[in-house]
Amino acid sequence: MPEKKNHLFSDKEPERPLECTECKKSIAVRYTEIIGGNISHVSMCADCPELKKRLFGIQTQKQGIGVGESGANLACGNCGTTLDAVRIGSRLGCSTCYEVFGEALVADMLNSNKIPARLAANKKSIPLHIGRTPQEASLINSSLRLLALNEALTETLQREDYEQAALLRDQINELTKDGEEPNEKK
Amino acid sequence: MKKNNEFLIRQTKPWSNNTNTIWLATTATLSRNIEKFKFPAKLSEDQRKQIISLVSNDLLKTEVIGDPVLIRSEELGPLEKEFLMEHFLSEEGFQQAHTGEAFLVESSGEFLLCLNIKDHIQFTWIDCQGELEQMWGRLAKLESALGKVVTYAFSPSFGFLTADPSQCGTGLTVTVLAQPSALIQTGKIDEVVARLSNETLSITSLQGNPQEMIGDLLAIRNRYTLGMTEENIIASLRSFITKLVVEESAARGQLHQHDNPEVKDKVSRAFGVLVHSYQLEAIEALNAISLLKLGTDLGWLQGITIDKLNELFFACRRAHLLFQYGEEKISQEEIPHKRAEFVHRALKNASLTI
Repeated sequence: MPEKKNHLFSDKEPERPLECTECKKSIAVRYTEIIGGNISHVSMCADCPELKKRLFGIQTQKQGIGVGESGANLACGNCGTTLDAVRIGSRLGCSTCYEVFGEALVADMLNSNKIPARLAANKKSIPLHIGRTPQEASLINSSLRLLALNEALTETLQREDYEQAALLRDQINELTKDGEEPNEKK
Repeated sequence: MKKNNEFLIRQTKPWSNNTNTIWLATTATLSRNIEKFKFPAKLSEDQRKQIISLVSNDLLKTEVIGDPVLIRSEELGPLEKEFLMEHFLSEEGFQQAHTGEAFLVESSGEFLLCLNIKDHIQFTWIDCQGELEQMWGRLAKLESALGKVVTYAFSPSFGFLTADPSQCGTGLTVTVLAQPSALIQTGKIDEVVARLSNETLSITSLQGNPQEMIGDLLAIRNRYTLGMTEENIIASLRSFITKLVVEESAARGQLHQHDNPEVKDKVSRAFGVLVHSYQLEAIEALNAISLLKLGTDLGWLQGITIDKLNELFFACRRAHLLFQYGEEKISQEEIPHKRAEFVHRALKNASLTI
């Protein structure tokens, strides 16, 4: 079974195991243990709890996970997904999972930089989701492109790169011209 | 299976007639689940089929997408799944896709709907015109159209709920694919990316490993889907790519005006590899083709155009390559040679002018 990312262009199957031996994320660490005459190889992902366990013993594993204790053995009553399973890379099973694991998920995602850090500051008072809601109009500022071009133009002028500045100005003129035409027709 | 094969190979757009030198393409994916159903991993096969008919019945009727075709996962061979993944530059493999999962494609080859792959519904659009804002508009229009028929799983605090918690909120992932070859080949890329980037963007190579650049392709995508508005996400990417294009154009201008023997040597060697090798590996080919693109843009090559090189860039990957040989049986060991032959044919009129 090809690994998620690495087989995009490869003609051959990768030689390494495809997933972390202990969970479902991609491999970052090859762990070799030599005890007496026995050598064992294990492949793990970067934030594998199993890796922490092997390196530091079981105690630090709980510290590593952060809010670990509060969510230990937590399971979703609707679909049976456990928090432990989610932490080793399983997907959530249903909407109820978000209610059951909510706080632990937010803490974990903050730790792994999957949600903006500002949400950590006062997570109770500001809503996590600030995007649109179902059936809400999907309009976004139509002049984002113009804003970006203007910003780039300012920086280019500061650097005194007049050649690029002229190209940017052409693009801005092109856009503003396009914008004006429909108005004129009205 | 033959029917799908034929349909897929006709999906040549958007990779033919693509004359983009720096900003190659953009993909946007919107993930949604349907309320009251468990997420796909926990659904029975019957329930998954129910979702497929629920969604496809309505989407096949809408006029937002032209001439849509529903392909059930079990109708697809491994090569066809790989073709889909290559075509849509998808990071997820579709190889695991099995019964109860389906894809909906349409004639333009720019739209892919995945059903029950990871979430119930995943809308994907590819754009090669640099129209980020319009692409979001099209996604949202389709999402709203379907939202009239089904209710999406949504919570006020987590937004749209997805099977992967790190994609909830907007459920929107936008990936800009840029080929800043001049910056990369002159070693300026790290400094430029560090200066232009911010914490809301994640910048990797196509395969997700920032250390291993393939075909000079940078994949720039939004790191967060929760705690950002759709406009935040698009504005941040728009700002980054606009400035990156300026930096890259300036670097190309430098290469054009001032003699740079190292880069000329790299382009010349890349040409040699493509034209004279007996066996070509995919990554080797992609790296060399991107150098040829740079060389063509700088006027160092003749007899080949950017759009032909872009087409070659996509057509030389495994599934696309094998598709061209149709029914002919080609073993794994023969692929590098077939690729070399294919590239030789594409470049037969090309020559270096430096």
